[in-house]
Amino acid sequence: MNEQPKPKKQIGAPMNRVDARQKVTGAATYSAEYQLPNMTYAVLVGSTVTKGRLTGIDTKAAERAPGVLAVITHLNAPKPPSPKPEGKDPSQPQTQGNPLQVFNDDKIRFNDQPIAVVVADSWERARYAAGLVQAQYAKEAHQTNLEANADKAFLPTAAKKNPKHPMNDYQRGQVDAYKTGAVKLESEYVIPTEVHHPMELQAITAHWEAPDRLTLYDKTQGTLATRRDFAKQWNLPEENVKVIATYVGGAFGNALHSWPHESAAILAAKVVNRPVKLMLTREQMFTMVGYRPYTWQKLGMSATPDGKITGITHESIGQTSTYEEFTEATLAQTRMMYQSPNVTTRYRLAALDIGSPIWMRGPGEATGAFALESAMDEMAYLLNLDPLEFRLRNYTDEDPEKNKPWSTKFLKECYKLGADRIGWSKRQLKPGSLRDGDWLIGYGMGVGTFGAHRGAATVGAQLLPNGTVLLQCATTDIGPGTGTAMTQIAADTLGISPDKIKFELGNSSFPKAVTQGGSSTVNSVGPATQEACLALKDKLRTLAGAAFSTAKAEDITFEGGQTVMRNDANGKLPLQIGLRNNPSVKVSYSDILRQNGQQNVSATVEAKPGGEGQKYSMYSFSVHFAEVRVHQLTGEVRVSKLVSCADAGTIVNEKTAGNQMKGGAVGGIGMALMEHARIDDRFGRYVTKDFADYHVPVHADSPAVEVAFVNQPDPHVNALGTKGIGEIAIIGVAPAIANAVFNATGKRIRELPITPDKLI
Amino acid sequence: MNQFQYVRPTKQQAAIEAVAKDATATFIAGGTNLVDLMKRGVMTPQKLVDINRLPLTRIDADPGKLRIGALALNSTVADDKQVRARQPLLALALNAGASAQLRNMATVGGNMLQRTRCSYFYDTTMPCNKREPGTGCGALEGINRMHAIFGFSDKCIAVHPSDMSVALVALDATVQVSGPKGNRSIPFAELHRLPGDMPQKDTTLEPGELITAVDVPDGPFTKHVHYQKVRERASYAFALLSVAAALDLDSNNIIKAARLAMGGVAHKPWRLTAAEQALVGKPATEETFRQAATVAMQGAKAFKHNAYKLQLGPNTIIQALKTAASAA
Amino acid sequence: MNPEHDTPGSAHDEARRSFLKQSSLLTAMALVPGPLVQAASAELDEKVAAVFEKIPLKLEVNGIKHKLSVEPRTTLLDLLRENLNLTGTKKGCDYGQCGACTVHVDGQRVNSCLSFAVMHEGKKITTIEGLADGDKLHPMQEAFIKHDGFQCGYCTPGQIMSAVACIREGKADSEGEIREYMSGNICRCGAYSNIVAAIQEVKGGGQKV
Repeated sequence: MNEQPKPKKQIGAPMNRVDARQKVTGAATYSAEYQLPNMTYAVLVGSTVTKGRLTGIDTKAAERAPGVLAVITHLNAPKPPSPKPEGKDPSQPQTQGNPLQVFNDDKIRFNDQPIAVVVADSWERARYAAGLVQAQYAKEAHQTNLEANADKAFLPTAAKKNPKHPMNDYQRGQVDAYKTGAVKLESEYVIPTEVHHPMELQAITAHWEAPDRLTLYDKTQGTLATRRDFAKQWNLPEENVKVIATYVGGAFGNALHSWPHESAAILAAKVVNRPVKLMLTREQMFTMVGYRPYTWQKLGMSATPDGKITGITHESIGQTSTYEEFTEATLAQTRMMYQSPNVTTRYRLAALDIGSPIWMRGPGEATGAFALESAMDEMAYLLNLDPLEFRLRNYTDEDPEKNKPWSTKFLKECYKLGADRIGWSKRQLKPGSLRDGDWLIGYGMGVGTFGAHRGAATVGAQLLPNGTVLLQCATTDIGPGTGTAMTQIAADTLGISPDKIKFELGNSSFPKAVTQGGSSTVNSVGPATQEACLALKDKLRTLAGAAFSTAKAEDITFEGGQTVMRNDANGKLPLQIGLRNNPSVKVSYSDILRQNGQQNVSATVEAKPGGEGQKYSMYSFSVHFAEVRVHQLTGEVRVSKLVSCADAGTIVNEKTAGNQMKGGAVGGIGMALMEHARIDDRFGRYVTKDFADYHVPVHADSPAVEVAFVNQPDPHVNALGTKGIGEIAIIGVAPAIANAVFNATGKRIRELPITPDKLI
Repeated sequence: MNQFQYVRPTKQQAAIEAVAKDATATFIAGGTNLVDLMKRGVMTPQKLVDINRLPLTRIDADPGKLRIGALALNSTVADDKQVRARQPLLALALNAGASAQLRNMATVGGNMLQRTRCSYFYDTTMPCNKREPGTGCGALEGINRMHAIFGFSDKCIAVHPSDMSVALVALDATVQVSGPKGNRSIPFAELHRLPGDMPQKDTTLEPGELITAVDVPDGPFTKHVHYQKVRERASYAFALLSVAAALDLDSNNIIKAARLAMGGVAHKPWRLTAAEQALVGKPATEETFRQAATVAMQGAKAFKHNAYKLQLGPNTIIQALKTAASAA
Repeated sequence: MNPEHDTPGSAHDEARRSFLKQSSLLTAMALVPGPLVQAASAELDEKVAAVFEKIPLKLEVNGIKHKLSVEPRTTLLDLLRENLNLTGTKKGCDYGQCGACTVHVDGQRVNSCLSFAVMHEGKKITTIEGLADGDKLHPMQEAFIKHDGFQCGYCTPGQIMSAVACIREGKADSEGEIREYMSGNICRCGAYSNIVAAIQEVKGGGQKV
């Protein structure tokens, strides 16, 4: 018998991660961990003022310090051949990769802006010398407080220029209809600045392998975006710049942009003509690699006494920098989640003297959902209705914003799954009804949604002579398990075991793909993997000759390969290609190659979305149910139970997808209860500088998060049926907790985080 | 970080001399705070005298007291059988601080001597009289939600961050010190100072003086004790405010003796003796605790962002006493 | 142990002090304009510094004995990552606030970022690279894989080193105790539920860790 047992279906199986062994043994190599000969170390010097001009910078002592190779400032920095002009192109809808040019002029735009970089032969020496650089400034008055600048808030330039831009004011039905509603509320909500803070500090190793060839080992979510930015900056052909990000130690959005430290490291490497490693400090992670912007929101809502929403007006002012206009979809969920004949949204920006924000997990949608889902809870109380029932009464069966059918929507199923698991029936509508000693117990829910985005992606597939398949794609993996999911998809498509498949990513030289962000990776790279594998089979079919001429790709089977033992002379069965419906037809792989004079067989295929987005409105959905305990004397809040349910289409790997949902829930606990980056506006400088001041959840803050997936394929997003998980995992978690706190205490906290001082 | 000289004496006298004769020298033990401060340029010693080879790690269970060596690790003390039996409040306070890893590094002496976590102290570009006398207090008009409500001055409103010290001050501990002029004992309540006009001075130790041990006298507080720490997450965070409470109850639940101290409210661990007196002779009821909490808060004054401590303080005292009274 | 570093006032100490004096003289000279003087003194500073600013250190890391020469200001973490190429131990904050740098020193879990390497003279260090027995993974590593106790993987070595110690310390008897005693290891991806499951399995399995 030559037949191998038919491999079991991998899509949906809880397969262990393909890179797990590297990660648990310390062998996974992150961007500051490459060993290059003649390595040098760079440390940034930051401005100590918030706005103004550098009038002098004394680098003598630093230059003289032991081991120092260079001190680079705006006075001596080589200018990249085509530095981008300051500020982003206002015609672009969103922040594009326009990094602040470092050492380009004497202007200070935010506190801790890099004003110098010191390069030395050791990290200790570079850090010491960086402390010796002395700068003088002509200070100017700065603005770092959003509320003090709310009166200067403006419509994003892109919206002003383009009336169809999504950041324009939105109107359905009557303007501000809620004001005349039967039952109405009007509440203001604040999300403070939150910082991504992946555990890996932002790091880059820059190496000019030749005067016109640059290799970057960089923490980035998009190897191609990073390549494009720095190729452009140095006026190099893109193929001369190589970006490697095999492992990325978390990012949550902050590696979606090119940042000043990357420019600084590349400049430094040019100057010293040696590889330069630059790792930011935790303090610098607050100031120069983005954050979730401080956002003020006002939400007005009206409903009929029997619980039908009649009007919603949602306004927000988000923070941006003075040199880029950062926008995000804070108001998107409000336009499409609930049935309301009248909806008004108004989005504004306030430009402050702080570095640019960047999308942070769930981005604007998570910010907006805090207001919308809190307001839904407030309205349910005004109506004396169960908040779940209130949501059901306003459920939308088609997209009320775009007037299109949903591609799929199983949110009701999510509600049911979640309500059962949390024990929603235990919940009492009256706040403060349940307690355990001094702990008040409450239940709350919050809903999340995010577009099921898909972009173009290309995957290269090669069948190697030993019967293994190598797949390559320039996409990255910041933690969700991209390589694992792709291996499963390839295994099912090819009908071979996952251990014979290797999926390589995180390298700009590989076939191009979307940046990892916006929950779009599996939606985009998944189909490309699938199609590349199908093309590979098809190619084999063609090469195999006449016996296979009438077969379809799905009829091709793989048998054998070097790992299968047999009693033949060399102990190994050569890889054979067979026909599913006619087991007697076989041809060995080596024969195919020999007949065609080839080394191996490969196929590279681009997969991209078609017109499905015109026909359907495509979203992932989630609902989060929280049980909290609030200490009535100390005001401490503990999330004792959290159930997250998602309609994310097909679940490729229930283990890694579940983990991603749990992680989003933990991120939501951080948002709800502790995360708050504070600036002392007198100085324009953060007083939260590290994990002692800026709290993120620890083990003790996390309950055992329960996850449930509806796991129904969406036939429209792609052939796999996936819709995306990363964002909906966090969107709606913070309001679920805030609503549970209200249910426990009767206190409505509209300004996050919910710290003990707000509850006593 | 600047370069520094590093020496590792094996004799106590040599260590003391090394620091006493060099104003730029400092002792290092666990390093969990000093190394952090050196990385940020807040402290810039030119010489580090590593005292980890000195024989100061023992925990001696003497009659009437425990003598805990200054170099005993926080984790060792917290898990020590004698400590748990005779001074359970100390073990609770130790375990409320930092993380398992840090408690494996931090020593008892070093824990007492940790510097404030005030953000202005930690940022060398900000004004701070403690770090750089004469530059002003950044927190006074700044973001002061973590700051003092007792015993502050217009020069400094920082708080002492140690949990262990709150228990030790409640337990009437005594610090054993050895210095260039010989040995002396300091009642724990007198080890830390209020900022006054010299916030740069955290303690009453003289240059070169080395803490060698802390003595914790036996008392009746082996059962009804509690350390209540309120923080912004469930673990691994400095206190917004904390309370060490110890009660001695008779068979009728009448309080025979009481100890009470607060953390996160002053430049030193804050003993509440008047509140203790208000407890003695009264039944261990919530009403009694409420009255004591009112006494405890007399004289408290808040700043722009820490007014919540005026309410959190008494609430936490009540909670700590309730838990202590019901501890079995 | 090198007795030279044991006593203040030793030969090393004196040499270091004269180096410092000389160094400040050179600094003063360098203030005088003249690129040549500057270059010469910088070169000398550099060479003198290289000799005097490092001190010998003996360490055993993952069973391998090392004789090193390090600056006192080099932390154990930086020594492992930059000098010994053991990059499995991670830098996540550098201030003892995240646990990514957790290693075992003489069997105890500590934050390697918060101590100077020279303070560990003669000690035995175990890092994530030394946990497995050759190709055979440690049971905790296996459990992390099975329960998917990570996402990006950056905090993972620290979590695993801490988890092993947590069981050895006898602080893994309940879910609550594990969560408290693992709180010194932050996972921003939020894989806490899975990490706790992995620890519970290893603890429940009763294998020697």
